[in-house]
Amino acid sequence: MIEWSIAAPAIGSAFLASVVEIVEAFTIILAVASLRGWRPAVLGTGAALAVLGGIVLALGPLLDRVPLHALQLAIGILLLLFGIGWLRKAALRLAGVIPLHDEEAIFAAETAYLGEEARRKKTSLDWIAGITAFKAVLLEGLEVVFIVIAVGAGRGLLWPASLGALAACALVLVIGTIVHRPLARVPENTLKFGVGVMLSAFGVFWTGEGLGVEWPGADLALFVFAALFLATGLLAASLARGTSRELAQ
Amino acid sequence: MTILKDVLAELFGMFVGDARLTAAVLVVVAASAALIDLAGVAPILGGGALLAGCLAVLVAAVLRTARRKKPSE
Repeated sequence: MIEWSIAAPAIGSAFLASVVEIVEAFTIILAVASLRGWRPAVLGTGAALAVLGGIVLALGPLLDRVPLHALQLAIGILLLLFGIGWLRKAALRLAGVIPLHDEEAIFAAETAYLGEEARRKKTSLDWIAGITAFKAVLLEGLEVVFIVIAVGAGRGLLWPASLGALAACALVLVIGTIVHRPLARVPENTLKFGVGVMLSAFGVFWTGEGLGVEWPGADLALFVFAALFLATGLLAASLARGTSRELAQ
Repeated sequence: MTILKDVLAELFGMFVGDARLTAAVLVVVAASAALIDLAGVAPILGGGALLAGCLAVLVAAVLRTARRKKPSE
């Protein structure tokens, strides 16, 4: 029986993180498809998704054998490092300190790079295109795989979290293929901010449980942590905007 | 080999993208563990220290980068 108080944030985090990462990967898949057609793009994407699925299938059952407290502590610390890292970057983008992801610019740069690479190496362009799509999906997907394993392992939520990530992946790829242009209007930074908040909250929750803390309200404490990280992230972004403006004057 | 190198670089960047942030988070976790296991503080207080420490690390990391960089627009 799934406990929705923990399953909903776990599946939601996997879904949103997958949207963010696949939007970024799709820009490169589209550059590949525009240059050499959909065949190498689909083959490269499919191969990368198979590798990522294999990683989840291999690591999932292995992690079930690790004692729960040790697993919670290890995954909690990794989630803190990863989640606060995402939140920091999202807050800096929100404050205008670092630029937002520009999918149109990345698309143009990737198309130019692929053409140049084919001329320089004199290799089959289909091969380069397929490998480029493979690498893009593999590298962007690694973060999703970590999130799926981190929020899913230890609570029997590996499958629901994987399905959440796969649903997002399918959704982005279908919409992207229909629209046939970089998905520049997806509010990537807002999604990244949200995922950073959830992962940081999960990080504190798991690390605390791993250290023997019994949180008041049990799983519901997760929502309190999320609210605190959200408020602190917004405050940090606001303070950073002020600091940045002072420096610019 | 290039792909493997890129995968390892990606994995490293995922957790140690900002070395100071990583060190600060590890210090907060170690301090909370020490409070609970060595100082004998009630686990819930150690948990509170963990939460407060992580929130402080987030604000400090954002402000440190903001002080070093000019606005992007």
